[in-house]
Amino acid sequence: MNITNGVNVSVETTCENQIQEITYDGTEIYQPPPTLSETLTRCAARIDFSKTSLDDLKKEDKSAEDDVKDSSQFQPSLWPWDSVRNKLNDALTEICVLSDVISIAKDKRYLVLDPVPEDPDEIKPIVQVYSRKKALGQAAQVLLSGAERLRNSHSEQRNRNVTDFHIELLRLRQNWRLKKVSNAIIGDLSYRTAGSKYGMSGTFEVTKAEDLTDEEAASGTTGSGNNGLPTQSPKTTSSLRVIVPAELQGVAYIKVITQKDQEDLCTANVNLMGHGPNITQQAGVWQKTLEFAQNVLFCKELFSQLAREAIQLQAPIPHVVIGNQIRATLLPGIQLIISLCHSTTFDSSQPGPINDHDHVLEHSLHQLLREVHHKNSHHPFPHPTSGPLGPSKKRMLAGPKAADRESLLEMTKSQTILEQIIAQAQHIFMRKRTQYVLDTLARDVKDPQIVSHWNAMNSPIMSCVKINIVTHGYDTINRTSLVIHVKERSLKCICRDGRVMHLSYEPQELRDLILCQINSHQISCLLNLARCMAWTVLSNSNNLGIGKVEPLGNASSCLLASPNGDRMIAVQIRCDPQIDVKVYIARSPRPDFIPNPLVPEKFWENLGGHFKEVRFDKIEGKSFLNKMEFLMAALTSNSV
Amino acid sequence: MQMTQITNSKELLSTALQSRIIPNQEFLLQGSILDSAVDHLIHRLRGLCDTVDASPEQFHDLEVCLSLRQPTQTAPLMLRVRRALDRDSPFQLRYIGQPELDRSRPTLVRSSIDVGCTSTILDFLTELGCRLDFEYVSRGYIFRKGRMKITVSKIKAVPGKQQEIGSETVSQSYLVELSVLAPNGQDSIGDEMRIFAEQLKPLVQLEKIDYKRLGGLP
Repeated sequence: MNITNGVNVSVETTCENQIQEITYDGTEIYQPPPTLSETLTRCAARIDFSKTSLDDLKKEDKSAEDDVKDSSQFQPSLWPWDSVRNKLNDALTEICVLSDVISIAKDKRYLVLDPVPEDPDEIKPIVQVYSRKKALGQAAQVLLSGAERLRNSHSEQRNRNVTDFHIELLRLRQNWRLKKVSNAIIGDLSYRTAGSKYGMSGTFEVTKAEDLTDEEAASGTTGSGNNGLPTQSPKTTSSLRVIVPAELQGVAYIKVITQKDQEDLCTANVNLMGHGPNITQQAGVWQKTLEFAQNVLFCKELFSQLAREAIQLQAPIPHVVIGNQIRATLLPGIQLIISLCHSTTFDSSQPGPINDHDHVLEHSLHQLLREVHHKNSHHPFPHPTSGPLGPSKKRMLAGPKAADRESLLEMTKSQTILEQIIAQAQHIFMRKRTQYVLDTLARDVKDPQIVSHWNAMNSPIMSCVKINIVTHGYDTINRTSLVIHVKERSLKCICRDGRVMHLSYEPQELRDLILCQINSHQISCLLNLARCMAWTVLSNSNNLGIGKVEPLGNASSCLLASPNGDRMIAVQIRCDPQIDVKVYIARSPRPDFIPNPLVPEKFWENLGGHFKEVRFDKIEGKSFLNKMEFLMAALTSNSV
Repeated sequence: MQMTQITNSKELLSTALQSRIIPNQEFLLQGSILDSAVDHLIHRLRGLCDTVDASPEQFHDLEVCLSLRQPTQTAPLMLRVRRALDRDSPFQLRYIGQPELDRSRPTLVRSSIDVGCTSTILDFLTELGCRLDFEYVSRGYIFRKGRMKITVSKIKAVPGKQQEIGSETVSQSYLVELSVLAPNGQDSIGDEMRIFAEQLKPLVQLEKIDYKRLGGLP
C-alpha cells in the first residue's frame, strides 16, 4: 500500500477464445465467442437421450472432449436443433407405443403380463438334511444344558448343605470389599483403605463354583497339589469360590528370635491368625482363604517395612538384612533376628514353637504397623479451611508462634518401627535381667528381706520396681526403700534420700548397688536399735575404705557404747562378695582391775582398746538385728 | 550483617521456589447443591473420601477480605484473612492471584499463597492501609481424598455485633469446592480432580467458574 514505490501492474484475462488463424505478420485472429443460443445448442446436442443412468453420464463426460473436437471439425448442420428434435421425436414415439401397450394390457383380453421366471437353484437334498440335523442338534444341546442347570439348582435348593451363590456373595460383601469389573467380581483384601502404602496388590476374584462334581474333583486335585489350603476341604461345600493370587497363597508368619551366643533366649511367631471373631461357620470356607491371604499380605508388608528401616537406620552396629532375615544387635552379645516365613504347603508349616507365643511382642508389632497406617490416612484437617492439607497441628502453629530451628528439627524426628521394636526388646531384656538379679539376691540374702514390687502398669519401654529392704520383726525400726526405673539400655535408681544413680545394662552394677543398700540398711537399723536401747553411737561410717573397692562403696562399720560406757561394740559389715559381719566387744574398765606400777589408777582403763571378736554365728537370734539386740542386752549392766 | 541475612533468606526462598517445594498453585472446581440434597452429598463424600471411620469434620470460619489500593496500579491488592470461629487456631492470611485463562486445563488454576498468622494480622493490615472489602461466615464440612480437599459449606452474612455470629444465610444452597494446593508444574492433579468430580456428578456439577464473567452480572 506504499504509494511512493508504486508500480503499475496491468491485469488481463487469459485468452479464452480459440485462435482461428495466425496471419503472416503474427496477428492472431480469434474465433468470436459463441453466443448464448450457440452454447445452448451445443450443450443440447451433447445430450444422449438413450443414456440415462449416472454411470452412462459419467462415461459421457469422459468422451465429451472428443465430442467437442468432433463438433469443431465438422461443419455445423443446417439447423442446429435438428438432432435434438429427432431424438425427442423418437422418444415420443416410444412413449406412445408404451402407453398403447399398457392400455391393451389393462383389458387383459389380448395381452397378459407375466413375470419372467428365474432359474431355480439346484439343491441337493442330502446337504439340507445334514444342515437341519446339525442345527437341531445345537438347539437340543442348549435346551439340555439349560435343563441340567435347572435340575442342579433345584437339587441345590432341596439340599440344605449347599447355599445359594447370591446369599454367599451377600455375606462376602459384608466383610470384604468387592466390585464388579465387566463380567468378573473382583475383591480387594489389601490394607490400602486403612492407610497402607504397600505396593503389592491384594486383589482376588470371586467365581461361582460350577457344580458339585466339579468342585469335588477340584478339591481332590488341589488338596494334594500346589495350594493345600483347608479351604478346599470337601466337608463343607460352597457355591462360591475365591481365587487369590499365587503370591498370597499359603501360610506366612514372622518369626522373632532373640539369641545370645547361638542360644535362643526367646522366640515368638507373629501372624494375624486366630484373632477376631471366628465367623467361618456363618460366612463360609472362603472366609478362611481370604483371612490367610490377608495374613500373608500383612506379614509381607510388615517385613518389608522393617527391612527398609533396617537398611536406612544408622546404628552403631549396623543391622544386617539378608534374604528374609533381619539381624539387629540389642545389647552386646544379644541379637534380635526377625525372619519372614512363608510356606505354600500347609502340612509342613505346622509351626512347632507356637506355644511360647509372645502376645506382647505381637501386639506391639500390630500396634506399630497400624499406627503407621493411621498416620498415613489420618492427617489433621486444617482450621481455618483455607490452610494447606498435610502439616501437623504443631507445624501449623510453628509459623505464628515463631518456632526456632531447633524445635522445627525436633518435629521432623520420628521413631521407626524397627527402632521401637529394638527398644522394646532391649527393655524386655533389661527387665528380665533386673528381675533375675533381684530374685537371686532375695533368695541368697536371707537376713534383711528384699521385697520388690513391680508396677503392673508400665509402658513398652519403661517399667518401674520398688524395692523395700526390711528385717523381719524390726520393720518399724527402719526400712530402706528405693525405686528403680528400668529403661531400654539403662537403669535409674532413686534412693529415699534423693540420690539418683544411673546404671548401665550390666547386671553386676545393680547387684553391687543392692548389696551396698543392704549394708547401709543393717548399719542404720543397728543405730536406731541402739538408740532404743539407750546405747550411745560413738561413730559410724558407710565407707570404711577397706577391702575391695566397689563402684558404690565398700565395707561399713559403727561403734557403740553401753549406757554407762563400760562396754563397747564394734561392728563391721563387708559385702565382698558375700555379706560378712564381724562384731567385736570391749570392756573398760575391766572388772578385775589390779593396780600395778604401770597403770596405777582405774580410770586409765577407760582408754579401752582390748577388743575381742565375738563368734557372731553362735549368738542366739534369727537375724543380725536380733542377735545384736541380744548382745546389747547382755552387755548392758546396771552395776557400776 | 542484617542485609546479608535478608539476601540469604531471599535466596533461600527463591531456591525453595525453584526446587518446587512450596505449594503456590491452587487447582479449583466449584459447584453448589441445594440444602435439601446436601445430606446425600455428605453421605456420598463419606463413602468416597479418606477416613471413612470418622464422622465428617466440621468447620466454622470467618473470612475477611481486605483490599489495598496502590497509587501506581489500578487494580487493588486483595488479601483474605480467615480464622476459625469454633476453635483456637492461628489465623490464615491468603493471597489469591488471577485465574489462568487456559481452556485446555480441566480445572481453574490460580496462584495462591497461604501464611499462618497471629491474631494481630488484622490490625497490622489496617495499619498498612488495607480497607475492609467484605466479610462472610462459612460453615460446613471438610473432607479429604489424598491431596484433594473438599469443602461443603454454607455462606452466611456477618450480622451486627450484637447478634450471634452466623445466623443469616445468603442462599438456599451449599457451596461445594474441590481444591488442591500444589507446587508449580504438577498439572496431572487436574485430571485426578476431574475424575473425582465425575463421581459426584448427578448430585453436584463441579466446574471451573470464571469470576470475571460473573463480575459483569448486575
